[in-house]
Amino acid sequence: MSEVKVGVFLSDCGKQLSKILDFDAIIDFVKNVSGVTYVARGSEFWRGQGLQTIVDSIKTGKVNRVVVAESVSKISEITITKAVEEAGLNASLVDVVDLKDHCAWPHRDAPSEATEKAKAMILASIERVKLLEPIEKLEFPTLKSVLVIGGGIAGMQTAEDLADMGFEVHLVEKESFLGGLAARAVRFFPTDDCAICIQSPTSDLKTVTNTSRKCVYRSGFSEIPNINILTNSKVVKVEGVPGNYKVTIEKKPRYVNEKKCVGCDLCTTVCPIEVPDEYNAKLKTRKAIYINTPLVYPPVYVIDAETCKFNECAKCVEVCPTNAIELNQKTEQITLDVGSIIVATGFKEYDPSVIKEYHYGEYPDVITHLELARMIDGFGPTNGEIIRPSDRKPAKRIVFVQCVGSRDRRWNPYCSSICCMISLKHATLIKEAFPETDITICYIDIRATGREHEYYYEKAREMGINFVKGRPAEISHDPEEKVLTVDVEDELLGRLLELKADLVVLAPAMVPAEGTKELAEILGLELDQDGFFKEYNPKLRPTETKRRGIFLCGGATFPKDAPTTSLHAHSAAVKTAKFLTKGKITKYQKTAVVNEDYCGDCEFCPVTCPYGAITLVPKDEGHFVAQVSDLLCEGCGVCVGTCPVGAIELRHLRPNQISAQMKALLSVNGTSKPLILAISCSECGNAAVDSSGMAMMQYPANIRVLKVPCAGLLQVQQIFEAFKTGAQGVMVIGCKPDGCHYEVGSEKAKRKVDLAKILLKEYGIEPERLEMFNMVYIEGDKFAETARKMTERIEKLGLLQLISS
Amino acid sequence: MTSYALFLGCTIPARQPHYELSARKALPKLGIDLVDLDNMTCCAPPPLQSIDLETSLAIAAYNICLAEEADLNIVTLCTGCFESLAMANTMLKENNELRERINKILSNAGKEFKGSKEVKHYLQVLMKDVGLEQVKSQVTNPLNNLKIAAFSGCHLLRPSKLLRFDDPERPRIFDDLIEALGSESIWYRNKLKCCGGLLRGYADDLALQIAKEKIVNAKKAGADCISTLCPFCFVALDMGQLQIRAKFKEEYDMPVLHYAELLALALGIEPKELALESHKIKTDKLLQKIV
Amino acid sequence: MTYEEKSVSSKFSDEIRHRLGGETIAFCYQCGTCASSCPVAKVTDKYNPREIIKLSLLGARKEIVAGDTIWLCCSCYNCQERCPQEVEIADVIYTLRNIAIQEGNVPDIYVAFAEGISNEGRIVPVSKFAEKKREEYGLPPIKPANMDALRKILQATSFSKIQFKKGEAQ
Repeated sequence: MSEVKVGVFLSDCGKQLSKILDFDAIIDFVKNVSGVTYVARGSEFWRGQGLQTIVDSIKTGKVNRVVVAESVSKISEITITKAVEEAGLNASLVDVVDLKDHCAWPHRDAPSEATEKAKAMILASIERVKLLEPIEKLEFPTLKSVLVIGGGIAGMQTAEDLADMGFEVHLVEKESFLGGLAARAVRFFPTDDCAICIQSPTSDLKTVTNTSRKCVYRSGFSEIPNINILTNSKVVKVEGVPGNYKVTIEKKPRYVNEKKCVGCDLCTTVCPIEVPDEYNAKLKTRKAIYINTPLVYPPVYVIDAETCKFNECAKCVEVCPTNAIELNQKTEQITLDVGSIIVATGFKEYDPSVIKEYHYGEYPDVITHLELARMIDGFGPTNGEIIRPSDRKPAKRIVFVQCVGSRDRRWNPYCSSICCMISLKHATLIKEAFPETDITICYIDIRATGREHEYYYEKAREMGINFVKGRPAEISHDPEEKVLTVDVEDELLGRLLELKADLVVLAPAMVPAEGTKELAEILGLELDQDGFFKEYNPKLRPTETKRRGIFLCGGATFPKDAPTTSLHAHSAAVKTAKFLTKGKITKYQKTAVVNEDYCGDCEFCPVTCPYGAITLVPKDEGHFVAQVSDLLCEGCGVCVGTCPVGAIELRHLRPNQISAQMKALLSVNGTSKPLILAISCSECGNAAVDSSGMAMMQYPANIRVLKVPCAGLLQVQQIFEAFKTGAQGVMVIGCKPDGCHYEVGSEKAKRKVDLAKILLKEYGIEPERLEMFNMVYIEGDKFAETARKMTERIEKLGLLQLISS
Repeated sequence: MTSYALFLGCTIPARQPHYELSARKALPKLGIDLVDLDNMTCCAPPPLQSIDLETSLAIAAYNICLAEEADLNIVTLCTGCFESLAMANTMLKENNELRERINKILSNAGKEFKGSKEVKHYLQVLMKDVGLEQVKSQVTNPLNNLKIAAFSGCHLLRPSKLLRFDDPERPRIFDDLIEALGSESIWYRNKLKCCGGLLRGYADDLALQIAKEKIVNAKKAGADCISTLCPFCFVALDMGQLQIRAKFKEEYDMPVLHYAELLALALGIEPKELALESHKIKTDKLLQKIV
Repeated sequence: MTYEEKSVSSKFSDEIRHRLGGETIAFCYQCGTCASSCPVAKVTDKYNPREIIKLSLLGARKEIVAGDTIWLCCSCYNCQERCPQEVEIADVIYTLRNIAIQEGNVPDIYVAFAEGISNEGRIVPVSKFAEKKREEYGLPPIKPANMDALRKILQATSFSKIQFKKGEAQ
């Protein structure tokens, strides 16, 4: 290894900093530090002439390590790293120290103390860069293909976007037909347009016009060249890494050849088996060979294996004019190689029979919205007539009940968000078609929060739909009068009502789709408290997951209306495209590395890693060692903090670098106050330090900040080391536990601190000398105050007496 | 024989000998041994809960302690007693903080609630210990011609989270046990709704209105009698009919029988042994139907 | 209306939440399931559990504690059973009654119950006539309650601090 030559570049921010810090003294100090071969002072080093100075010093071979004192609030780290790399030096051999926000500004009332702290900060940076090692840039190839799970509107739209962009898309749907819940919903609010209307492909197919919308069955969706639709299929296994997944699909037989069936319907005329049609709310029957409605995709019949007599009967085979029926089809296992996966599995109606006082499933005239939607559908089982199922007579009095099993702490505590609008939609559609129908909506709160939704509510009132503010206690049925009674209080009148109804329509909670839990397990995804797929971050990464390369859209994350689902689907497509479009993932190897000689295969790190980046691999004689995937590792170091034997390290922040920085930071005091080491994470914790400085909030200069990627990296012995090295107090500053950038780091750090406190007590050291704090950027005032209070606390405790070992 | 500590409560021994007699005669016939423990107090029912919830829990727990000391599970006839004791038993078993709080009070009386025993209503004992089939097989005088409006009373079922007796919206146990005697347990409107009994003495008019509706609904559905489990429901519906007659000038003549009485009759115990004359609404016509 | 009646405060609901039985009151979102489940509300407009909860939440302490509505609950637990927010409504009403009784609003019938407990350990007294009847029917004599133990328990709770006098209730 060639000789280490450190260049130190000191920015005085247009002489603003030198009003406080004694730059001459700092430069004298730095020049005498061993390994420093070049020192420059300038107005700024993150751009322009200043940046050129750095580049030149590298190019001329004067320096091969770079320390820059520059305000991080100027994105200096990014521009300097980039320039250094272009100048031919490994980008990781740079350290940026913030003399402005971490020193001059917060200590402007005590310039000489600030100057001494500045020396310590620069020294720490120099000592660190001396130990830094070059870090490689890695490339991982990614496939330009995507698996979309779920063929509802979310899955179809995201699939269409990606296929149009040139990705190969496999769309997997567990049912026999595409369309999902939307297809059954008939019409969408607030436009009342057809649910089966989708954005048509905008590819260059000559057969498809460029209009914005089409019925799904004539959209040409299936004819996009690089889209592969797999109905009757489900994902059973997923292996591999982001960019390269191997997916196993199980495709149940349809028993009808999709390429041969012409949809002539002859088969159903001869099929002797008749069963209640679930798709149509059992309001009609269907044959064992059937199609949901004429308007579905694929327009191909399917045989219901549970009721068909197959070769015992085979009447359909005889009559089929195109020999499309293939009774010997078997379940197929299909494996696909994809770069990325999008989960679009949606949601479903909750089964309201658990709310026994509503007697769903017992009284035939108590139905759900999805069942009502089948009646509203002109192609549905009643041809658009609204009937009471018990005697199929027209329903003249209809009562809607909102929040059935939702906003209910016994079943689903959340608001399903779309049910109020569904009720308004159905009420107005029925009222338009049958104005004499008396419709009452019993509600707790009408939630019409979307664009145009309030107008929809207004329209419903204008049309004469009755609104009763109250959640019914009970639906009862009088067998003699053949009528339902809904007991409800109108709270606004404070009056108990007994609403007579021919039909009661429940608005059940919308819950995660069937199989959500199993799929989450297969994909290694988390579910939220309500059982929906959990996104990486609801505000910033609403379609991403903790598993890189796996995305979410539509109702799989929460019930959504069609416009929001659309938005989500398109957003997922963009994120997926962004992930795959370069054909490779490029990243620095700023990852954890295992010393196999020490690793004791204890399983702590694989379990703790928030990214599933660590696995145990066999080494010899039943001995396993941890192995880190450079692709999956995010370089947080939570594993480092977890390893009981110190067998795992971060390449970009080895323990000796931390020790060297600690030693340097605590080598000079310059204040009359006890030195306190503040170990902060580089995310929210450091941002709080930044912002307190930016706002010139004052705290004493005895506070020395040591930045680590995540507080979770911290080991108990490092806390002791800090005390041994001269700290009189230690503060650990991390993100809020629920906002930790590395999921579990902050929480892990807290546990380490708690443990260290116990041990400190054992050693006769006041545990109050150590404290963990959680802060975010906007809490700069909290950092300054905490620093002041901690100083006072340590001053009161007096000098730390360590038994020399 | 399975032995239980019989918790009689206040109302049954003081006012309803027909209930106590029928239970004391019928249950041993089905292999249930009833043990009378010393020192038992009031169960601390809703009226006492209204005065002070903590006191009520302590008194209920005290009685459970007596059963714990005798190493017996408790059986109650009265659903009010069942509710108070079973509720306290579950709460104290499952809430450590509350148990400590109550045990601190009990320590003054030299007691400690341990949570080692069960509190059961006698219907549970019939259903679980005896079994429906065994009840059926012991019936010598099936009550074949009766349409019975079962009325379990609120406190057998609710609060279901603590009592865990039967499905609070679709109970079956009581109906199954009625049908085990050969009778038909009929549907009637608002079957599970309250009798208003606990308003008696404070708001008698309201109590009577509520009771009246129950009787009217049972009558409308063609009931030969109403069957109760709770002495308060019994008073509200039996005595209540005399008061309804006085107040509303309406006559229903709807006999009200505790399930234990029906059980005793079905097991072949002579009507004259059961103190049926304690009923305000006479049971003679009903008895004729049985024989 | 007085200033207190026109303004709102969370003081009373805080008091309720910190008492046995009142813990769940703040979950209420006023859906009215309790009212439409209530057999008493069906026969009188003087009683509405939802309104009692609302008034309590908004701090109408005097109106609730000194009033007579809380005494109209028949403790049937229908409301509690069906409450979608798991508000233990019947228990909250017990709590309100506990507060009312501590403040001297004791309906006569509750004075009688309290006397029964204090004197005999039972809320329904046993008459000489009843005891004679029992003997005739061959029923065993009623075993007396352990009054010594019971008094010690009552002494250790707030029961002993309550003044029970007939005709005092507002």
